[in-house]
Amino acid sequence: MGKGGVGKSTAAALNSLFLAQKGFQVLLVSLDPAHNQSDIFEKSLSDKPGKIVDNLMGIEIDQDYWIKQYLKDVQRQINKTYSYLTAFNLDKYFRVMKHSPGLEEYALILVFKDIQKKFDHLDFLMFDMPPTALGLKFFMLPTLSLIWIEQLLALRQEIIKKRDIITKVKLIKKEIETDKILNKINEMKKDYQNLKDIFEDCEQTHINLVLNPDKLSLAESTRIVEALHDINITCSQIINNKMQIDSSCDDINTTFSDIPICQCPYSETQLIGLANLEQFLKANDSVLEEQVNHLLPSAAEK
Amino acid sequence: MNSISKIIKDKLIEIWKIADGMARGKTLDGIEYVAEEMDHIFGILVLGSFVGLPSPPMQISLDLMPLMERELMLMMEKVDTAHEPISDLFSELDID
Repeated sequence: MGKGGVGKSTAAALNSLFLAQKGFQVLLVSLDPAHNQSDIFEKSLSDKPGKIVDNLMGIEIDQDYWIKQYLKDVQRQINKTYSYLTAFNLDKYFRVMKHSPGLEEYALILVFKDIQKKFDHLDFLMFDMPPTALGLKFFMLPTLSLIWIEQLLALRQEIIKKRDIITKVKLIKKEIETDKILNKINEMKKDYQNLKDIFEDCEQTHINLVLNPDKLSLAESTRIVEALHDINITCSQIINNKMQIDSSCDDINTTFSDIPICQCPYSETQLIGLANLEQFLKANDSVLEEQVNHLLPSAAEK
Repeated sequence: MNSISKIIKDKLIEIWKIADGMARGKTLDGIEYVAEEMDHIFGILVLGSFVGLPSPPMQISLDLMPLMERELMLMMEKVDTAHEPISDLFSELDID
């Protein structure tokens, strides 16, 4: 994660390549709508896994496709369960629904769940996150959804209690009919709780916060760490990127004294293309070793 | 003597059944109204954005929508009586 332009995509590319070279099976997934991985590796990537090098595959997700598919699926379910007249009146709403606030980050959640399900057997799933705003919304979505779901669940259970009283007073035989809406809410609760647990578990989710040695980057990174802390998510590591000889990192060291910090040097050569990336890795092997060191125990368990 | 007491007993049972039915009916009217209003609140909470009210994250509303045709129809009916909510309430509580 990090402010736009600090080098998140390049850091993700370097980490992925380094791990692949060490023999680990890695999938690099770009969740940033403004994809960069194709440009960095100078290889065409799509929303299907494409080989970059041995042990490394890459995906650039199509957010619009995921939103459209989700809305199509909802509309299909509505057409199945609603009477014709009601379904006809709702059609016009779905044409504008894809622009609704909240669906962007939900599309990323759908992608995350899909990738996790299909590629769980790999050693590492590396996600190149979008810039701060969308990245934070992605991590916050399970927590915020659970707050609403708890309220809806309580109200729905009250409604069912009232209906049970009506059944008893009418002295009619109580049909064992489960409330479909209650079942769906419980299913959603389980789903979001599972996601929340994954994000909060430091063994499963490692968040690298990438910043540059400048005031703006430091200010935004501080806000990111605070926002994540509010939802019980911790950063595993800070990557102080584009460090030059005269760069001062006192402020960064003071602000993030409780998070491991890795200094990543500035590269005179533009890190575009496999050759340049591999050359950088060769020259800075110890830096990358330090960056991925905390990931290796989880891979060993697999 | 026995037939008279049987007749009286049957009459008493009949009176009891009538009284019981009336009491249940009265109780039911109130509870059914409350249950319907709670259904309405639930519909507004989940689908309120369709009538200009703040609502849960969009994906929660969309995920529940296929199961909520009844609540949606209820909301549409409520729009018809929205300009006379007091008369609706008075009618429900039998106030003339």
